Amino acid sequence: MPALAALLILGGCGPKEPLLPSGDHIKVPFVAPRSDLCAATSIEMVSSYWQATAPYTPRLSQEELDARTLIPEKGGTLQIELMATARANGLIAYTLTPTFDALLRELEKQHPVIVLLNRSYAWYPLWHYAPVTGYNKKDQTILMHFSDRPHEAISIATFRRLWERSGNWGVVLLPPGYLPATATSKAFLHAAYDLEKTGMRDDAIVAYKSALKRWPKDINILFALANACYQAKQFAAAEKYYRELLSVEPAHPLALNNLADLLCHTGRQNEAMAIIKKAVSDDSKIQSIINATQKEITKGCTPQGKKRK
Amino acid sequence: MKISKLVLSFILSITLLTQTSWAQIASTEALFNQTETLSSKEKIIQFTARQDVAKILEQMDVDPKTIEERVAAMTDEEASKFAQEIDTLPAGSDALGSLIGAAVFVFVVLLITDILGLTKVFNFTRSVR
Repeated sequence: MPALAALLILGGCGPKEPLLPSGDHIKVPFVAPRSDLCAATSIEMVSSYWQATAPYTPRLSQEELDARTLIPEKGGTLQIELMATARANGLIAYTLTPTFDALLRELEKQHPVIVLLNRSYAWYPLWHYAPVTGYNKKDQTILMHFSDRPHEAISIATFRRLWERSGNWGVVLLPPGYLPATATSKAFLHAAYDLEKTGMRDDAIVAYKSALKRWPKDINILFALANACYQAKQFAAAEKYYRELLSVEPAHPLALNNLADLLCHTGRQNEAMAIIKKAVSDDSKIQSIINATQKEITKGCTPQGKKRK
Repeated sequence: MKISKLVLSFILSITLLTQTSWAQIASTEALFNQTETLSSKEKIIQFTARQDVAKILEQMDVDPKTIEERVAAMTDEEASKFAQEIDTLPAGSDALGSLIGAAVFVFVVLLITDILGLTKVFNFTRSVR
């Protein structure tokens, strides 16, 4: 396991949470299985872990988790609905890069990972979700709340076989202020934006802000954060983030457009006009938005909130 | 039983309202798609996907009371994937219920592979590895 050894050496660049020593397990509370509801119990276990260790309160009851995840005719839960339900419970759902190293890095940062395993073969698949809670380098085992056994030790060889059959699918569920150890800015932004799109804008804003701490000059994160603040009517914050983005990339046409629109609707027509005049794009769709904004500024702006078509 | 019109109109309203109320602004969506705004054709496709998901859930015996919130909790991408790939997507579950119908042969094979550490179907087996 040279990769593992490398991780043990390189993995600790000043994390806030304590690292998980090999052989120990993350203190994820165990929930006994309920028939066909391993997705719901997996979410429940990880949610109660975060409830105990982070400022986080689950939004769904056990009954709601069950009712939202089970498809009776399938006798189980799709990955899509596991993720959607985890979000509805107030957590960001980040799908891991499908590698064993990514799994270990999350475990080291004390992030339980829900994995999808095929306990059998492709010709008779028996799919199962379970939270991984640790690993033991010396014994070469993975620890997980497997069915009715808390922190069951499974040999890494067996685990890898079962996991491979799902394409190494695993997901970390985190409170919006937390970042996955293995996150890339683009994939994390996508996961946070999924929260926003499904009606959880406030949580998305928290997630964007924590992403900005790790990637301070990332224009995509700044753009998403500024847009979310604008839509939440936090005009001062939105303006600040648009301007921050423009200080990194002064010609960003979408940010110029949106900032001009914001200034227009907060009664600063002249400033809006100066900004929109800087916006140009080769993309005809973007250019048509810019033109529409400019037209509206020329007509005189309506205060935000009064008119929206 | 039919999906109530109310459910469909609710789904339609969240889909369209979230997309159209900020017409002048370039959406964050632009970061993930090539096009920064959705054409009305794309909107209709996405709406149809949500409608399909609602129908599939209903046909698969899901409690009609929960369908609305389940569909609303999915992103457009998830709804499209769900509608298109429902027959092949894996559904994670507990093994033993699904095994009751299996033939004795399958049972024995999986018992042996369990012991070899190649599978993990039965909770009572311990791999020899």
